[in-house]
Parts: sequence; structure tokens; C-alpha cells
Amino acid sequence: MNNLTEELKAHPGLSDIYGEASADVEAAADPESLEAVRVKHLGRKSPLLQLLRSIPKLPAEEKPVAGRLGNQVRAALEQALLTRKQELEESQLRERLAAEQVDITLPGEPFPRGHLHLITQTLWEIEDIFIGLGYRIAEGPEVETDYYNFTALNTPEGHPARSSHDTFFIEGHPDVLLRTHTSPVQIRVMEQEDPPVYIIAPGRVYRRDSDATHTPMFHQLEGLAVDENITMADLKGTLEVFVKSMFGAEREIRMRPHFFPFTEPSVEIDVSCMICEGSGCRACKHIGWLEILGAGMVDPNVFGFVDYDTDRVQGFAFGMGIERIAMLKHRMTDLRMFFDNDLRFIKQF
Amino acid sequence: MKVPVSWLKEYISFDISAHELADRLALTGTEVERVGRAGLPATDGNLDRFVIGQVRSKAMHPDAAKLSLCDVDIGGGKTEKIVCGAQNFEDGDKAAVCLPGGVLPDGRTLEAAVIRGVESHGMMCSEAELGLSSEAAGIMILPEDAPIGGRLIDYLPVSDEVLELEVTPNRPDCLSVYGVAREVSAVLDAPLMPEPVEDIEPRGDDDVEELIYIEVADPDLCPRYAARIIAGVNVGPSPAWLKARLVAAGIRPVNNVVDITNYVMWSLGEPMHAFDLAKIAGNRILVRRAMAGEKITTIDGTERALGKHMLVIADNQHPIAIAGIMGSEDSEVSGETTDIMLEAANFSGPGIMASSLELGLRSESSTRFEKGIDPELVPKALAMAARMLVELAGGRLVPGQYDIYTGPPSPVAIHLREERIESILGLPIAGEEAEAILARLGFGVRREDSAMHVDVPTFRADVTREIDLIEEVARVFGVDAIPSTLPSGMRAKGGLSEHQAAERGIARRLADSGLSEVISYTFIAPDFADRLMLKDEDPRRRTVPLANPLSVEQSVMRTLMLPSILQTVALNLAQRNQDINIFELGRVYLPVSSEKLPLEKRTVAGCVCGSMRGESWTGGGRVADFFTGKGLVENAFAAVNGDFQVRRAGEPFLHPGKSAGIMVAGEPAGYVGEVHPRVLEAFGIDRPVTAFEIDEDALIGSSAGIVQFEDLITFPAAYQDIAVTVGLDTTAEEIISVVREAGAPLLRSARVFDVYKGEQVGEGKKSVALGLEFRSPERTLTDEDVDAARQKIILLLAERLNATLRA
Ligand SMILES: [Zn+2]
Repeated sequence: MNNLTEELKAHPGLSDIYGEASADVEAAADPESLEAVRVKHLGRKSPLLQLLRSIPKLPAEEKPVAGRLGNQVRAALEQALLTRKQELEESQLRERLAAEQVDITLPGEPFPRGHLHLITQTLWEIEDIFIGLGYRIAEGPEVETDYYNFTALNTPEGHPARSSHDTFFIEGHPDVLLRTHTSPVQIRVMEQEDPPVYIIAPGRVYRRDSDATHTPMFHQLEGLAVDENITMADLKGTLEVFVKSMFGAEREIRMRPHFFPFTEPSVEIDVSCMICEGSGCRACKHIGWLEILGAGMVDPNVFGFVDYDTDRVQGFAFGMGIERIAMLKHRMTDLRMFFDNDLRFIKQF
Repeated sequence: MKVPVSWLKEYISFDISAHELADRLALTGTEVERVGRAGLPATDGNLDRFVIGQVRSKAMHPDAAKLSLCDVDIGGGKTEKIVCGAQNFEDGDKAAVCLPGGVLPDGRTLEAAVIRGVESHGMMCSEAELGLSSEAAGIMILPEDAPIGGRLIDYLPVSDEVLELEVTPNRPDCLSVYGVAREVSAVLDAPLMPEPVEDIEPRGDDDVEELIYIEVADPDLCPRYAARIIAGVNVGPSPAWLKARLVAAGIRPVNNVVDITNYVMWSLGEPMHAFDLAKIAGNRILVRRAMAGEKITTIDGTERALGKHMLVIADNQHPIAIAGIMGSEDSEVSGETTDIMLEAANFSGPGIMASSLELGLRSESSTRFEKGIDPELVPKALAMAARMLVELAGGRLVPGQYDIYTGPPSPVAIHLREERIESILGLPIAGEEAEAILARLGFGVRREDSAMHVDVPTFRADVTREIDLIEEVARVFGVDAIPSTLPSGMRAKGGLSEHQAAERGIARRLADSGLSEVISYTFIAPDFADRLMLKDEDPRRRTVPLANPLSVEQSVMRTLMLPSILQTVALNLAQRNQDINIFELGRVYLPVSSEKLPLEKRTVAGCVCGSMRGESWTGGGRVADFFTGKGLVENAFAAVNGDFQVRRAGEPFLHPGKSAGIMVAGEPAGYVGEVHPRVLEAFGIDRPVTAFEIDEDALIGSSAGIVQFEDLITFPAAYQDIAVTVGLDTTAEEIISVVREAGAPLLRSARVFDVYKGEQVGEGKKSVALGLEFRSPERTLTDEDVDAARQKIILLLAERLNATLRA
């Protein structure tokens, strides 16, 4: 380029054209004026084009130089125009993008997402743990006969749980009630299937009680394992796996003897308090252990009702309240919120 | 069951603390709710500040006629000046002295004080001040054998730790201090003292049978009825130690006779009753069922009507006690009573429970009898009570007694196989160990060859089988010793059923679509049918009603999900929550006339109210309407790869023009639609709600199953849009069905993407735009193929629906 400028010094006409055109290209502030510059300096009527067209009329010895220089000037101008055009486009894009800047701290576009109820989430989590251990999910009716709910579960006539004070009965059917636990499902399954049986039975259950710590409807999950050599040690191991999966590997369990009509021996299972890590707090009544479920070896009388041979098979059963598990896991304090269905509660989880 | 530790120690000695004992009991099957303290606080040496003193001199206070000024010998050569307001004592009387700094059961601290100008260095306590009774008028005079200067606590149980036990219903034997002592003996391996039932010699030459005639008419409800007579008792207050014991156990002292029967009940677990012999009309007792219309006024002053199946103790005229539950006011022992008939009986547990429930009356007696107690306790209780009455109330045991007994329970002997213990527990326990545990619990163990035969004592009627013995051994041995294993023979495969997996898929899809899951009570108010404007003959008016609901608002099982859904909407609106977009997977309960149990139909229900998008600076969502609801239903079906059709719904609770019945395989399977304005009003909802309800089985049943592969790539589809003008009444479904018919076989799908009404199409008309997709599985379609198909579609639309092609 500098060589070109040097060389043009000997050709004032071409030099002027080149100088003026170069200045115009530099001065063009937008693509439109740049186009005008192109028309002015490279258009058909531009001095450069006219000059180039007049070359054939030049004396023969001047022709080669004039032709070469003229074309070089044209090429240089075309290059300058292109460069300038790119510069202008680039800066224009930059400006546009700068103008398009947004407040990135504004919230994103809302996508509708609903929430599964905490009970469902907890239930699925528990179900999945037992599915992993080889259990199937069994279901049964919520409106049940007293046979399945009590009699076949070895709960004698006259037992307080069978009273209309504790259990909802159906009008006109003194032997039909709202199940008070999901244990009747065990009976229904064992009536239909031969051992081995490994099932869990989740679902809604009902007890006639309504206060700060009781709702008349709640959820339970019962488990039943019946096979040839099932022992209480198997029960303990199974529930240990459950507790550690649910509440963390550092949790411990302990068994305390208890009494339930449908298991013998019966135990209650405590989990080491996850709130105070066993040092004692209000939740665990300062003993470091929280009661979370009841369990035991299936009472032979129960097997009698379903014609299982107690010399050949034995089994364990356990039952837990889903609300209690969810409350412990999420440190929830008010049971009744589960069924108030206030969306502020439901959408927390 | 409250067990004062000092009482427990009458029958068993141990040297661990009450809290340690509570822990041991908790881990062996006796739940301890708490360890409390009755009477004087035991902290900071408080018990040392209560001593036995003797009044050396009693003089009138110089400035107050009602006060006396006493010198009280408190032992160790010390005499304190004490100002006292009571008058019921004299020189030489012994009293409980509270020294300055002593804290009383009510929390008050006694300070040395100047009373009317005279310094007083202590207080002589009344029974009320020591928490033993309400007797506050005078000080408590102690018997002469009380050692001067000794600590009161070493003489009287005025401060006691109390175990509050939660006894499981299978262990009525533990509703007694002696029963708990036996349990403690087994758990701690400490020797148990003999039962405190040594009999006493009768005196006199009369005989019980001369004084009263007793007959049991209903032995089915009363297997054993025994009575003795104590003549010449002085009814009066019990000695302080007896009151202290009862108060610590939570029993209010009444008089020595009643207190003794209560003391025996608490000690042995056998409820007793004392009748005033003079008040038994005709000197005749008949144990019988109540007669129609009979009434009784029980000692709590309440008149109660008796049912014909309730057992009563009657005299010649009328019932004088509801057997095993409560006595009557008019046969009660009073200050004038001299001769008493002491009753110890065994009543049938179920009988007592039925009567108690029906009367709404429970007592310490009925809670024991209803669990079924040992009939062999009867003579023991009579012996213990007779001795105490003679010793503490000055009576004479009349020779002879009644004991009407259907006979002792047949003995129970169980063969316990040692190897069975391990096979149940997964923990070996040696035979000798098991034998020792059972013996401590009161079982008799015989070895025949190597087999273990266990004789069950009568107080353990809950033990009838080998497994019961294994439980006894396990709990006392300690279940914490059981190792953790997993079932060894696990051959089963776990998992969700197809239905369960589909159900989860639906829940997830609805949640992902923006609905939040609710869980509602399944029992609702019976007026739901009226509020939903169901027709009189609508089968959903037939509900499963509860016989004993907690409230009318929760008294019938729902036959539709909608009432629950609308109630949740109303509740959330009342809480000012916006955009109530919810679903529930629940059941409806439909009575089936030939069946005992109703049909429980799993149902997927939900609603949208407000916007699905919520307010946002990016632009709000449109208010959800019928098509929002329908879209959600489509999502639910899509979740299971299923499909449905619609037809106009005739549901009375829905907007007649904006509602659809959901059809699966030609059968009704639910609805989707805007809720009728009148129904919204009835539920207190002030804005539109679109609801849906789908039979879950039909929904899942509509599944086309596993998606089968189709080659969409090799021969690409051709797309065409057409817009036709049709009459306003023509439905999208009608148009599409004509399009499908005409477009077959190349037409793969037809979808409405725009509907326009307005000037450009003219009155009574609308324009419907459809996107058409043509495809052949064998070749790539040419323009000619598609044009021909399109032409056929336009022709058939014109012919069938009078449709014209829009330019
Ligand atoms: Zn804790």
C-alpha cells in the first residue's frame, strides 16, 4: 500500500482520486454512506472508472503503468470498502447487543411444576427400599370386615380396639368397618397365596381419634415375610436396612419387647434419635431413642386362620405410620397439616 | 399403674436406682412412662429437715390466744421453740417436725419466722401439709413408737419414687405391686418375697352362713364369688403410712375399710368391695343379671340405668353394686358401720368390659377385671384384707366364709423345645438359662428325659403355647442380643405391578404438568349430593355411611372425588392462595347391594382454578378453562400410552356447554368440565374451576401397551395445512373423522391448530384449520399423491359437512 502511495506520487490524477476515495471510505459512518462512497468512487461514472476507460487512448508506453496502477487503486479501494464494511457491521452488531442487555437478576420464566404430597414421596421412598429387598406391594380394601381387620389377626372379641369408641363402623353393618391398619391385607394375601410371601401393604387407615397428635385418617405400611426359616434376627436385619436407608447409615435400632395380638414375640423398634444424635432432646423425650414401628413374629394363631403349616413356615410382620416417618425425616411438628391440603404446605416439598 | 418404690421393696429387694430399674423394665417388655416422686421432694437433703419430735411443753402464745408456743424435742438433746396454730395435741404427743429450710410437697419452703413477736424454729405438720390427706385442722399425731429425732422418712413413706408403668393388656398380673415385683425379680434375678397373704384366725362362735345367705345365679359371668365378715370394726382414718402409700400410688384415702380394700387391690391385683352388712336387705346376696328397668346410684352419686345383660350384686330388694365396676351409694361403708361383708370375686372379663363400655363407667376394678384376672387371687385377697382389717380397724374375723367357685382353671402344661427357641429368635439360648428365666417368672419347669415341660401358673392366663414361652424367655434374656441377618431363603422378586407402576406414572405426569397432589379425608358431609345438584335417582346419592362418625361433616364415604376437590379449593382460596391446581389419587366408595363391602373405585381427580403459569413479569398465564382441564386429562392418558374419546357430559354439576364425558373403549370413564356456577356457589368458591375425574382402572386399561417401533425416518412424511369453513355447530371431531375417512390410507394424523369466528367467514360460520400429515411406509410420497389425497378430503368435507375450502 505504501509502495502504491509512493508510486502514485508520479501520477497526480490517480493519486488524488485514491487519496479522496480513501478518505471518504474512512469517513463513512454507516453502511448506507459507505455504499454511497462505493458508487461515488467505483461506480460507472466515477473518475477512477472514467480514467480506467481512457487508458486505451494513452500513448503505448504509458499504457502498462497506467493500467497496472489504475487496477491496483481499484483493488485497494475495493479492499478498503470491504474492510470498512465489516468494521461498520461489527460495531453495529456490538451496539445492538449492548442495547439488548437484560437484567439477569430478574426471575426466569415460570414453568408449571406441581408437587407430590409429602406422604406420597415418603411412601414411595419406603416402598422402594423394600422393593429393593425383594418385596411386592399388596393392596386391599379400606372398608373391611371385622374378620379381616380383627378376628383373623388374633384380636379377641371385646378387645378395646374393636369398640365403636376406637373404630369407625359402617351403619347397618355391625361387622363392617374402616380398616384400622393395613394388616388385613396380609390375611387376604395369605389366603390367596402359598408361602413364601414377601409383601408390603401401604395405604390409608382409619381410627376414631382427632386431636393434635391424631387424625382420623392416616397412612400405614405393613410388611410381611413368611418363609421356611424366617427368624427374629431376620426381622431385625431387615428393619436395620430400612432405617439406615431412610434416615442415614449412622442410625442404630433397638428392639423392645411389646405386645400386639397378631405377633408373638412382639417388639417395638426404636431408632437412635436423629435430632440430638442420642444425647437427649424433646423429640425423643430425653432418652435418645425414637419409637418408629411395631413388629414381631407372626402369631401361630394368625397362620391358623389362613391354613399355613406352622411347623413348616414362620414369618415376621411389621407396621409403621407414614406420617410419623415423614415428620421425623422432615422435622415436621404438626400432624394435622398433612390433610389440611393448604398448598403452602404441599409445595414446600 | 403407679408403683411406689418403697411398696415394691416390700416384696423384692434391689439396690439399683429407680431410673436404672425403669430402663431394665423398658427393655424387657414393661414400659415405664416416667419415674416420678410422690410426697416430699428428696433433693438437697430435704428429707433430713423432716424429723420426729415430741412436744415437751405447750403454752399459750403471750400475744395470740389461738396460737400455742411449744418446746419440741427433736432428738440429739436439741429442743426447738415452735409456734403452732393447731389445738389437737398435748404434752408428750409426737409429731412430724419440719425444720427451717424444709420444702413441702406443694413446693413451699418453710423459713424460721417471728410469729406475733415470738421466734418459731420449725413447724409441726398436718396431714395436708405432708400431702397425705385434706386434713388441715390439726397436726398429725404420730404413734408412740415413733423414735424421737429420727428422720420422718425412715418411719413413714412420706417421700417415694414412683414408677408409672404402662401395662399391656395381656398382663393384668402386672396391675399389682406384687406382680411387678415378680417381673423385677425375673429381670434382675433377685429373690422374691412370699405373697403377703398369711391368714388370720377367726374369733367368736357365730358363722358367716348365719349372718348372710349368698347365691350366684349367673356363674357364666361370675366364676367365683367369696365373702367374709368382719364384725365390730371402727371405721375411721387409716394410719399415716397407709395413706402415704395410697397417695403415692395415686389413690385418694377414704377411710380405713375402703383404704384396705384398695391397698389389697394394689398389692395383689384383686379388686375387692366392702359392704355395710347392716345395709344388705334381707341379709341376702344374689349375684345375677340386672332386671329390666333396674337402676342404681353408684358411690359417685350418679344414677345409672342397668342393662339386662349387666351383672349386679343384689340384696333382697335391689342391686347394691354393679359387679366388678362400682358399688352403690346406699350400701357403702360409713362412719356408723360396724360389721362389713368383704367381697372378693372373679368376674368374666368380656362381661365387665361390655357393661363398663355401655355405662361409660370405668374404675380401677373394672380395668382389672375386663382383662381377665386369676381366680386364685380371691382367697389370697380375702386373707390379706381380713388381717389388715383386724389389725388396723379393730375388727373380728367371723368364722366361716363363702367361696362359690366353678372350679379352678384347668392346668396348662407346655412342651418347650430348646431348638425351637433358636429357630424363632435366630439366637441360641441354653436350656438351663431358659429354665431359670421361666422359674423366676413363676412357671414350673419339669425335665422329663431331656424335654422341658412347663407348668403355667394361673396368673399367667396369657401364656398358652410354646411360642408364648419363647417370648417370655426372649424378653427377659434381652432381645438386644438378637443378631441382625436377612432372610436366607429369599427367592421372591420384588417390584411394582404394572398397575402400580402406571399409577406412579400418572401421579408423576400430573405433578410435572403443574398440579400439586392433595390427600383428602375420604369421609365427607352427606349434603354433598345436594350441593352437587345430583338428581334424586342418581346412584351416587347412595353412600356408605359411618355408624359412629366424629362429626356430620365426616359421616359418609365419598362416591365422587369432586366434593373433596372443591373443599380443598375453597380452603385454599380462604387462605388467599392463588392458582389452585391440584390432583388426588384416591378412592370412591360405591355400595353394592348384594355385597357386604362396597366397590372401592380408584379415581384420578383434579382441578384447575386460576392460571397454570402464575403471575410473572414475562407475562401471565391465561386463566385456565375447559381446554386446560382437557389438556391435563390428555396428559394423564399419555402417561400410560392410552387414549380416550369425549362426548357431551350430562353431569348436573358441570357447565352444560363446557363439559365432556370421558369415554374409554365406548364406556364412560369420567368427566372433565367447568364446574357449574351454582355448585361453585354451594362450595363458597367465587371463581371458575375446571375439574376432572377419571376411573383409574379404565385410564390404565386404555393403554396401548408397550410403544411399538415405526419407521418415521426412511420415508419422510409430507405436511399440508387446510382451512375449511363450516357451520358453527360442526365439531372438530366430526371434521376429523371425515378427514380421516377421506385421507386413508396415506393420512397419518390430522390436528386442529386454529379455529376462527368473525367477519371474514360470515355469520353462523367458523373456519377450522387443520394440519395434515401424510406418510407411506413403503415409499416417499410425491406431490401428486398428496394432492390427490387432499382433493379427496376437500370433496368429502364438502359433501358431508357442507364445508368450503378457504382461500
Ligand atoms: Zn433426641
